[in-house]
Amino acid sequence: MKLLEYKAKELFDKYGVPTMNGCVIDSAEDMDGEIAKAGLTYPVVVKAQVQIGGRGKAGGIRFADTPQEARQHCQDLLFSELRGYKVNQLLIVEKSANNKTELYLSIMLDRLTKCPIIIFSANGGMEIEQTAKEDPDKIIKVTVDPFVGVKDYTAAYLLSKAGMDQAYKKQLYDMLRKLYAIFMDYSCMLVEINPLVINAEDRLIALDGKIDIDDSALFRLPDIQEFANKLQPDNPLIREASRFNFLYIPVDEDGTIAVTSNGSGMLMSCIDLISKEGMKVSAALDLGGGATADRIKEAIRILFSTPGCKAVLINIFGGITRCDEVAGGVKLALEADEHKDKIVIIRMEGTNKDVGLSIISSIKGVDIVSVPGLRECVKALVDRRDRL
Amino acid sequence: MSILIDEKTKLIVQGITGREGSYHTEQMLKYGTKVVGGVTPGKGGQEVCGVPVFNSVREAMAATNADATVIFVPARFMKDSVLEAIDAGMKMVFTIAEHVPVHDMMFCYHLAKARGVKLFGPNSFGVISPGKTKAGFMAGYFFSPGSVGVMSRSATNCYETVKMLTDNGIGQSTCVGVGGDMIPGTTFVELLPDFEADPDTKAVVIIGEIGGSEEELAAAYIKDHFSKPVVALIAGKNAPKGRSMGHAGAIVSADGTGSAANKEKALRDAGVYIADSTQHIVDILLELKKEGKL
Repeated sequence: MKLLEYKAKELFDKYGVPTMNGCVIDSAEDMDGEIAKAGLTYPVVVKAQVQIGGRGKAGGIRFADTPQEARQHCQDLLFSELRGYKVNQLLIVEKSANNKTELYLSIMLDRLTKCPIIIFSANGGMEIEQTAKEDPDKIIKVTVDPFVGVKDYTAAYLLSKAGMDQAYKKQLYDMLRKLYAIFMDYSCMLVEINPLVINAEDRLIALDGKIDIDDSALFRLPDIQEFANKLQPDNPLIREASRFNFLYIPVDEDGTIAVTSNGSGMLMSCIDLISKEGMKVSAALDLGGGATADRIKEAIRILFSTPGCKAVLINIFGGITRCDEVAGGVKLALEADEHKDKIVIIRMEGTNKDVGLSIISSIKGVDIVSVPGLRECVKALVDRRDRL
Repeated sequence: MSILIDEKTKLIVQGITGREGSYHTEQMLKYGTKVVGGVTPGKGGQEVCGVPVFNSVREAMAATNADATVIFVPARFMKDSVLEAIDAGMKMVFTIAEHVPVHDMMFCYHLAKARGVKLFGPNSFGVISPGKTKAGFMAGYFFSPGSVGVMSRSATNCYETVKMLTDNGIGQSTCVGVGGDMIPGTTFVELLPDFEADPDTKAVVIIGEIGGSEEELAAAYIKDHFSKPVVALIAGKNAPKGRSMGHAGAIVSADGTGSAANKEKALRDAGVYIADSTQHIVDILLELKKEGKL
């Protein structure tokens, strides 16, 4: 769950991470009122709230010296699209002028060490990725022992390695402690400030904020769950599938084959083998374990509604999932008349397989093929290549 | 022989009175697993399939002297269950649940390492030493005893492979579900020494997938320290970029770390046979068998 910048800023404010004074608007008419209420003084920065990288380069960050200019930016940006993402809110903040330098600071969960890792650079800002490629020594990394946490010596080390004055140690340590508290309290995968500026008064201020929270921890973060519920997923079928507790993954816009299985490893195998034959998968749906006929029916319906879908491949290796339930669900889905032109390839193995197979053989009027293994699934698709 | 668990292993089940816990206790007992006790707070004194239930792991340990625990509790309670098991002195812990918060697992991982505890999962089917015992939820019927060790991040790809192995007369020594999450408690590289030391394991199958560096670490180890043939499959070559494929760990990062190409190259350089499908794994092993290497 990637938070929008304004939500990240809310957390920064709650934990005392210094940010610029600001307000959020979702209608251009509210601008003057909200700016007055928050007590903002011009110049300001108008920032589109969309989850894309390179937002500045895409025109999503604009500066205004006067209310007229700000109003124009609000009208231009609000409800516009930036790289396909609709802008539903704007964050307006006071501009931090005459900054001495732009730093980069983040904490992320490192898969290799299984520890939080702090990444710091004296060369922050828009070109951080280029710095990482061309001048990796300027990116300082230090892992944090989760039983120890961040200490003031962590700040001393980062400043020293970055060639910066130790005079900033107290401020950087304070910043690190607060970011680390957010990282731990909110089960974050990433907390990032870029740029972290040193302003004209030598104070560290977060001018942007990115926070990515582990979806599996949302159950204990009601404020974030509420925020997540309001966000529209980028694909309506993802939301539709999640209503039935399925994971729906769009794969290739040009794909014609939708695949489903009772585990994500098997889904990946199906996609790999189909792709190897030069055919394209449009979407994958993970049924998880133990799906009943009613839910299987919905899964098939969702796969059929994938744009461009001409065939559905169902590959079940049942343990908890029962083959008779799967077959029953497929039959229910196919009895709806509108799917007569679709191809269905089904492979079932495991509990109650024989009952399942006899249900499949009773389905009439649709091109449904039952095969014994994954290799045969792919062959059945290859045999029907001209219809895909 | 086998690794990790065998017919002598005494197992307790945490969450034994729950729907999953009680069902799989019955299945494990039927398979021959020595389930000696279970734990559900507040249900101490009851029995499940004739197995005594205790209020705490500490009491279960004292009464049964168990060697290992399998945890069938929902994801959100997993951390406390693991900490309780480690605190009670348990040396081998199997976790099953999917969607465990990564921070919870981070804490459990480091505590287990510090205490010398073997922690497995989460998002894993468990471990099975065919014909002897199983700890987890895998159906036992398509596994068969033999000489191939299997380690897999995916349950379904492992089942698929093992069923074909069994159908082709190739049995397994031990099959380990290392789990599909970002932080696996125990991974390939930590299990390779056990398979190397087990005289009855003649070859090892690694079923990996995109994301993380577990396969690369295994490759580095195999190159210098592993003498038996290894066959590997990396799933997810054609998975859409930047999207998690259901396994929280199966995601390639922006810099390309975790890509299938990197993993296959590292493994190939270490002398590992690379399979491009579960069927291909079986084909390679059949070939090895023909050459008398199994």
